[in-house]
Amino acid sequence: MASNTIVERVAADLSKYPPFDVLEPAVVQDLASSLSIHYHEEGEMIFRKGDTLREAAFMVMKGAVRLFDSMDDEEILVDLCDEGDIFGVRAIFGGSSYVLSAQVAEESLIYEMPAEKIRGLIAASNAVSMFFAGEFAKSMQVMERSLTNAFDQRKLRYSEQSCRSFLEHETLEVKPVANVITCSPDITIREAAKIMSDCNIGSILVVSADNHPLGIITDTDLRKKVVAQPGSVKEQPVRDIMSSPVYTITGRKTVADMVMLMVKTKLRHFCITEDGTVNSPLQGIISEHDIITSEGNNPAVIMKEIMAADQVGQLKVERDKAEHLLRIYIGQDVAVHFISNIITEINDALIVKAIGLSIASLEKEGWLLPDTPFCWLSLGSEGRKEQLLRTDQDNALLYLDPPEYLKAEVQASFVALGRKVTSILEQSGFALCPAEVMASNDEWCQPVSVWKKYFSRWILTPEPKALMNATIFFDFRPVYGDASLAADLKKGIFEELARGRGFLEFFAKNALQNPPPLGFFRNFLVEKSRDHANEFDIKSRAMMPLSDAARVLAYEQRIPDYLSTVERYHRLADLLLPEKDLCLEAAAAYEFLMRLRVVNGLDQGSSGRYIKPESLNKIDRQMLRNVFTTIGQVQKTLNMRFQLDYIRD
Amino acid sequence: MIDRLIIETALYRCRNNSLPESVCRYLRLNRKKIHVATPLADIRFVVFDTETTGFDVRHDKIISIGAVSLRAQRILVGDSFEVLVRQEKVGDREAVSVHGLLCKDIAFGVDERTAVSGFLDYIGNSVLVAQHAGFDIAMVNQLLSRYFGIRLFNDVIDTASLAKRLEKGPYYNLAHKVGEYKLDALCERYSIRLHDRHTSAGDAYLTAQLYQRLLAKSRKSGIKTAGTLLMK
Repeated sequence: MASNTIVERVAADLSKYPPFDVLEPAVVQDLASSLSIHYHEEGEMIFRKGDTLREAAFMVMKGAVRLFDSMDDEEILVDLCDEGDIFGVRAIFGGSSYVLSAQVAEESLIYEMPAEKIRGLIAASNAVSMFFAGEFAKSMQVMERSLTNAFDQRKLRYSEQSCRSFLEHETLEVKPVANVITCSPDITIREAAKIMSDCNIGSILVVSADNHPLGIITDTDLRKKVVAQPGSVKEQPVRDIMSSPVYTITGRKTVADMVMLMVKTKLRHFCITEDGTVNSPLQGIISEHDIITSEGNNPAVIMKEIMAADQVGQLKVERDKAEHLLRIYIGQDVAVHFISNIITEINDALIVKAIGLSIASLEKEGWLLPDTPFCWLSLGSEGRKEQLLRTDQDNALLYLDPPEYLKAEVQASFVALGRKVTSILEQSGFALCPAEVMASNDEWCQPVSVWKKYFSRWILTPEPKALMNATIFFDFRPVYGDASLAADLKKGIFEELARGRGFLEFFAKNALQNPPPLGFFRNFLVEKSRDHANEFDIKSRAMMPLSDAARVLAYEQRIPDYLSTVERYHRLADLLLPEKDLCLEAAAAYEFLMRLRVVNGLDQGSSGRYIKPESLNKIDRQMLRNVFTTIGQVQKTLNMRFQLDYIRD
Repeated sequence: MIDRLIIETALYRCRNNSLPESVCRYLRLNRKKIHVATPLADIRFVVFDTETTGFDVRHDKIISIGAVSLRAQRILVGDSFEVLVRQEKVGDREAVSVHGLLCKDIAFGVDERTAVSGFLDYIGNSVLVAQHAGFDIAMVNQLLSRYFGIRLFNDVIDTASLAKRLEKGPYYNLAHKVGEYKLDALCERYSIRLHDRHTSAGDAYLTAQLYQRLLAKSRKSGIKTAGTLLMK
């Protein structure tokens, strides 16, 4: 009989790392007692490219192993594995020989896990099978939906986690009203109205004899169906006017759940019953009001408050609340597209309010804004509806060409407006753009004709450096004013693109400046170049390569809408059918990166751009490694599509 | 030679059915010594440790034995052994503070005879490895002598001596700093994470990891066969 102490020790070490961290202790112990532990000194080869597959997969328990490909005597680093990394997984799935070589980079303790055992685990556990599907795809260096698998895997892990955090933070749960006032369907409307007014409540639930919910009567029902109707209906039974059926749910719902439910159903009351259906006894009720007041943070309320604000100071308060909301949503793993829609709505409302306040303030000072139609443009990440955290503002102002004699005067007015608005935005927490790409700068506060000239210059005589700084303009989005001006500008750009052949190639080349890193090794970012950085710039190394590529393709495909990077990839998936899978992977990858950046930013109270590798857990690292592979694929596709290898610098 | 004599005498008792089958099996396996030219990769090593009621090899008792095997440089987790021995007393206060086993734990153990027979079955003719092996061997021999009139016949490697030999040369015998070759110190020197210290199985597992590193070091010093390792 094997030693429990030793098996348990090995099992404890195994279950520190995915996928074994989610398995039952007995299963991990069974695996532990089947494995052997090998010690290797630095420089030893574990296997070589071309070697026959061993009947085992390997996990680094201590030390480091480098995986490399070799071509013409040249070694190409593919990955560096550290504690908890699994390699040599081809053995699990069959095939004949290794496609990479594995060499010990630091003296290592390696767990050799029988392939047969792992196959058994894969058959028995969903989590293990998804994990190895991802690992295998990675080792094959092919896409094959690796990311999708990996995302499912991450979701599985995180949904468990968010469940836990939800139990820990009970405050995030919406507390239903338990002592619900109810009535039978047979009492008269008049009696029901009396109960409501006596109890000072806005609604009353109609229930059957065994307390199953039948319908609801609200103030609105009384107003519309009783008071506004001719004749006397007050003596009719309530069943005639009640709204039925009611929307039933089970208890223990979080704020985020309820907000989403409210958005989805457009309802304002939700009944909690024993089993969540109308056929079980009523336990409580949650109204819109309960949801809003449960945390004091609700997007609808924040929007309302922003729209009603008459002081600049209130805008910052509300935007801070939005950040709190963001924190809750992120904590509960709410979908990123949902979060960014809400935050963008709030940001936009804030900009609209800032413009309104500015116009009023200008008028007070005696400036009268010309009646020239104008349009406020958001640029860069806010233009792409991706500004979850408050970073620098990038904006511009576009107006209809005024008659020649008014030119100077009109521009002066709009620049004055731009100054006011950017200052209000700054006070609301959006830092001024250091490069002064703002509507307060007369260079970026121009009539349509000048804007068209700008774009024409960028497109017809592209110059790499100038173009790099100009990319944010290609993400413009109208936020306030006459959107037809923005549409006109976009149409102009498309016309120039047709004339300026070669521009898209430059644009694409610009998008390829940054090849993705390989992955992480302990506290370093591993680069193909072998210059390893100890900080990960998620914006320039992962997000920009994806958003740049999406922009190029969106313009190539002449997509007129103002879309986010994720929306662009979804649209491109339909337009570029052969690349459909890759586009969907890229969209998922970008959402993952947005979330990671927000989490990091909220943790550090920063823009979230720079991530310390040590703050990333194993799963995030593995996800990022898959994301980097996707970025590499996107860049390869872009390269082929625009035949960039043939263009000289 | 004397080993051979004891084995044959004992096997004679086996034929008279006066020794249990596991002991006889052990004796038969150990009739032949390991060949000096056997490559290290082909040898099964059993790394073991005992916890005792004290340090007197004549009077103190074994309260647990833990072991794990090693072959072809690999620790085989599943091929391990652990047994608690039922004893009347767990030792003086000092010993209890080392192994942490209390009366109530020991009460769950098996009797000495069963424990040591199981151990014989597990080790067979493997090469035994232990930290300061002399003491653990003597403790097991005390039991074997008491119950069966035999002793251990396996080849033995002491990790402390092997480490000394590899670090300072084979004939280094000068006084070294006290404690330099204790398990804790060796583990630290060979960067082995300490876990489950002072349980026999935990210490056996640590010793196995230490031995694994010493073997790697041996290979570099040209030690590749049983003969050179055992200095025969």
